[in-house]
Amino acid sequence: MKNGDALAALPTLLAAARASQTWAGRAGKLSRKNRKMKNPAETIPAAKRRRTQRPVLRYIYVLPAVLMFVVFVVYPILWVISESLHGRGSSHPAAFVGLDHYWELFRDPVFWRVLLNMFLWGLITIPVQMVIGGTIAYLIERYTARSKTFFRVMFFLPVITSVAVVSIVWSQMYAPYYGIIQQYARVVGIHLTTSPLGDPYLVIYALIVVNVWQWTGFSMIMYVAGLSNIPTELWDAAKIDGAHGWQLTSRVIVPLVSPVTRSLLLLGVIGTLQTFPIVHLMTDGGPDHASEIFGTYIFKQGFVIGDIGYASALSTLALIIALVLSVVQILAFGARLSPNRKASR
Amino acid sequence: MKKYAIALALSGLALLLVPSTNGADNNSVTVWSWFIAGTMDKSIKAFEEKNPGLKVNYTYYNYSPQYITALKAAAASNSLPDVIGLQPGSLTQQYREQLVPLNSYAAKEWGDDWTSKVFPVALKQLTMGNPPGDSSYYLLPQECQVLAIWYNTAIFNKLGLGIPQTYQELVNAAKKLSDSGYMPLYQGAADGWQNENVFLMIANQLSPGLVEKAQAGQAPWTSPALVSAMEAWSKLFKDHVFQEGALGARAYPTGAQLFAQGRIGMMALGSWWMQESKFPPPLSSFIQNMSGFDFFYFPALTPTGKPSPPVGGVDIGYGLTKNGAKNPAAWKFLASLVRGDALQQALNDLNDLTSFNGFEPQGEITPHIKQMYDRFVADLPHAENQRIAHPEIADALDNALAGVASGTVSPEDGLKRIQEVTDKTLK
Repeated sequence: MKNGDALAALPTLLAAARASQTWAGRAGKLSRKNRKMKNPAETIPAAKRRRTQRPVLRYIYVLPAVLMFVVFVVYPILWVISESLHGRGSSHPAAFVGLDHYWELFRDPVFWRVLLNMFLWGLITIPVQMVIGGTIAYLIERYTARSKTFFRVMFFLPVITSVAVVSIVWSQMYAPYYGIIQQYARVVGIHLTTSPLGDPYLVIYALIVVNVWQWTGFSMIMYVAGLSNIPTELWDAAKIDGAHGWQLTSRVIVPLVSPVTRSLLLLGVIGTLQTFPIVHLMTDGGPDHASEIFGTYIFKQGFVIGDIGYASALSTLALIIALVLSVVQILAFGARLSPNRKASR
Repeated sequence: MKKYAIALALSGLALLLVPSTNGADNNSVTVWSWFIAGTMDKSIKAFEEKNPGLKVNYTYYNYSPQYITALKAAAASNSLPDVIGLQPGSLTQQYREQLVPLNSYAAKEWGDDWTSKVFPVALKQLTMGNPPGDSSYYLLPQECQVLAIWYNTAIFNKLGLGIPQTYQELVNAAKKLSDSGYMPLYQGAADGWQNENVFLMIANQLSPGLVEKAQAGQAPWTSPALVSAMEAWSKLFKDHVFQEGALGARAYPTGAQLFAQGRIGMMALGSWWMQESKFPPPLSSFIQNMSGFDFFYFPALTPTGKPSPPVGGVDIGYGLTKNGAKNPAAWKFLASLVRGDALQQALNDLNDLTSFNGFEPQGEITPHIKQMYDRFVADLPHAENQRIAHPEIADALDNALAGVASGTVSPEDGLKRIQEVTDKTLK
């Protein structure tokens, strides 16, 4: 997810998180309200009712949305799939090569490196960001009073910082000789001899650290929204029942913020597959493909080498993986992601 | 009424979705490039003063990812501007079908013998990657460059160092610089282009022109001379000639800033480094009039090698798109950029070296800068080619160099990988 997306989505996400916490109260209110409401058919004038019942008009109403969806989502997907079945070139008809690009991909060692790196990225960043973000949110909500806003803003700041700035700063932090970490390490007599960004075995973890640093604030703000909606009575009741420490965390807090956790999991998986700028700017997938991910490899193949067919095959596989993972998650706890699930029962 | 409102809104939306055309009219020229905007503004001003009534609209992009992404999208939608900035080889070849051959344009403008004025290495690079039998020039060179090892003369004088004449002297100089708290030979090895440049300097001292033959499939990448070059490349890391952590370092902006600040002893750059002295202040005392810098070529890095010959070629060139071919003003501006008033402005800013004989920087140029500029221009006619024609081969070379430098790939295996990609590409 990009900074702009995060900011734009923030109010919605906060609202969704809050809504998920207050479903019970709303459900009661809604059902009481519904009982008092008249039959909708009685309140709509007959002429207007006839108009809304015309099938053609209904289709016209949804046409703009459908058009936008077809132009900006369906068409690009179909175009990419079609290109993945053709040879090189984007501006003239290229030869149909069938599934050749896909067979080539499976024989390409870089593709397997990409999959491994993506797996590591998701496996580490998603839970670590959740745990650190959740802990910070808990500490802010429970142990700060007037300085709440200050801490929320401070921890959210990396999310809205330009990725280019983050990349340059972290590259310099990692650097031996003049790096910031080296300056502090020198005080205790440590002399760094290498940058993790240049070490093929460490580079992916070094990038993951940067990603966690930047995006933990997002998890934090989501959990802040979740925690702030837990009724005070519930905290008091848990305390009276003797819950504290680990019991309070595992039996009360974690279950109550679970809708937020599930949302973060869903967003985390999609965000992992969309990762690009940090890696592109800090290592460009190197050294020797050691930090290659879908974004950088697709970019190289499509825009640097100019092999649109191969890049499209990579994109199609990334799309299929994203689709499968999203469907699995929605099937697993999709209904529980909906804030109105009980209200609709 | 509501229906009309909806229809109006949809029409407005449709209008927004209609792609805009780039070529406005025949009195204006659209140009895209990664060429530094401040200098291009001066070039445009000079052109417009000379050609009243013509207007140039320049769009600057960062080279990667913005410029190459913008070009790809515009090519796919047939909305390329009139003139585009290019490098010979892979970038030009990707857009060859959207470009017009410039041979007849140039001959008409400057006479049939115009190629005699272009430096040989630049001329050779113009057709790199063309299909067999295609001798068209799809770009014309604006500026050329020569690669070199720049060094900070103030630091060298302070430490009593001279220009290294042997590999051992280079290692000793690097050690002395490191021991004195400076970075020795700064290598932004996270940037493939800088690794390529250094490798080409080494390879051409062992067997001049061999890389060019290897990339064309006329010699194997696994030739003993290239294996030796790869081993010498690896030794620069092992012997700490490059700074520690070089594989994670970038040449720009980090390396260039540190070099300008006087924290680095040496850096492999090119003749374009002189342009730093024309940047807006504040400038470091080393950068002002380039008084703290000079350059040399690598000494022999292996017992059988010789000092590096000059390596270089086209820094930037321009192509006329098929859209631009319909606009006579577009060629007029392109001609001025490569051999006219617009070029002169770029040279005055010391952006790089001329590609056409007979031009040189004018204005406030100190004797020290003039002397360095003249040395570069004197070396340019015998420079070895620094460009790789096919992006797949360039990418394979970049990865092999990074793999060998990190110790995960042996020099032989790295070269075998490049050979496999070359065979596949040229098939």
